[in-house]
Amino acid sequence: MDENAYLTSIIASLFYLIAGSRLLRLSRRTRERPELLLGLYFALSGIYYLGYNLPSLLGDLVPEWVGVVVEWTYILGVFPYLLFTRSVFRSRGAWGGWIVGLCSALLVAGTLMLTLDGSVEYSLDNPWYLAQWVGYTTPCAWMCWEAMLYWRSAGKRSRIGLCPPIVANRYLLLALFAGFQVLACLSDLLLAHEVGDDQTVSRITDALIGGTEMASIALLWLAFFAPRSYASWITRRAVILPTPMDG
Amino acid sequence: MATTLFDIAAERLEASTDLDRLAVRGTLRLALKEAGLDPQNLNVAQLRAVFEKLMPRELEARGVAKPAAICSAVMNDVMSAARTADLEVSSSPDEIFKRLGGS
Repeated sequence: MDENAYLTSIIASLFYLIAGSRLLRLSRRTRERPELLLGLYFALSGIYYLGYNLPSLLGDLVPEWVGVVVEWTYILGVFPYLLFTRSVFRSRGAWGGWIVGLCSALLVAGTLMLTLDGSVEYSLDNPWYLAQWVGYTTPCAWMCWEAMLYWRSAGKRSRIGLCPPIVANRYLLLALFAGFQVLACLSDLLLAHEVGDDQTVSRITDALIGGTEMASIALLWLAFFAPRSYASWITRRAVILPTPMDG
Repeated sequence: MATTLFDIAAERLEASTDLDRLAVRGTLRLALKEAGLDPQNLNVAQLRAVFEKLMPRELEARGVAKPAAICSAVMNDVMSAARTADLEVSSSPDEIFKRLGGS
């Protein structure tokens, strides 16, 4: 991977840690589960990205077992992400539970078998890698879909004053964030496909990784640390219906 | 027997207008759809906004006289019924996403 791609990954990891700790602090104050779950996801993702880039920064100083721990850290982070999507968007339907169960099974089985194999082989020929890939890509695609659906209906609720425009916009930002995560997952597949020294594939993968990470940071910044100017711009653009009832 | 806010509102509306059960529920569903709301996950504030801003127009389009006054009366009924039945929805995705931004 190119050095610039590592750099964006490290910046992203720091940002995930900041966003995660902010949400965890919020959950301590509100004692509510959704912010705890999302906070855990971001915090563990931040730790994963930092750990993932350690070998490129420190070389042989990093023992091999660190890679395994880092891998499991990410997998642990996907569970709260799945539970967040389920509890916020699909708390009533049974099929949401099925997605959580299926993804969790694929993640645990895939990662466990990769760990037991000893060599973490990211190859399209390895069924356990593919199981793990489906296990961590599906939650991102699911979140993207649900948040996009809610963004559409939140726009309608905004028109009658039920949903603040900045909240409706937050659905869109998180949907786009999850969409970029799906792109990042697809770039993982490209990396796994990159068996030889194909420079073109390598450049595409690096650009995808770097681009998706930078876009993700921007989207999370607007979602969780929106500057006042952005919030008022979004509010100004929103159309709110007047009340036709006057007694 | 009415179990959700949607059911209570539809019952009260049916009693206050000449519309039949099917027409009332259909009209209410259309207004909720326009408001981006799910009939099964409604809270009182959401229903009130629909009855204030969308339902008068929908009822007028179906030939109901004095729709605004009817909506207001039905909503008052629904609110007192909801209080006794404790039908408030606890935490909607909108409330959660509002908290996430710290707003």
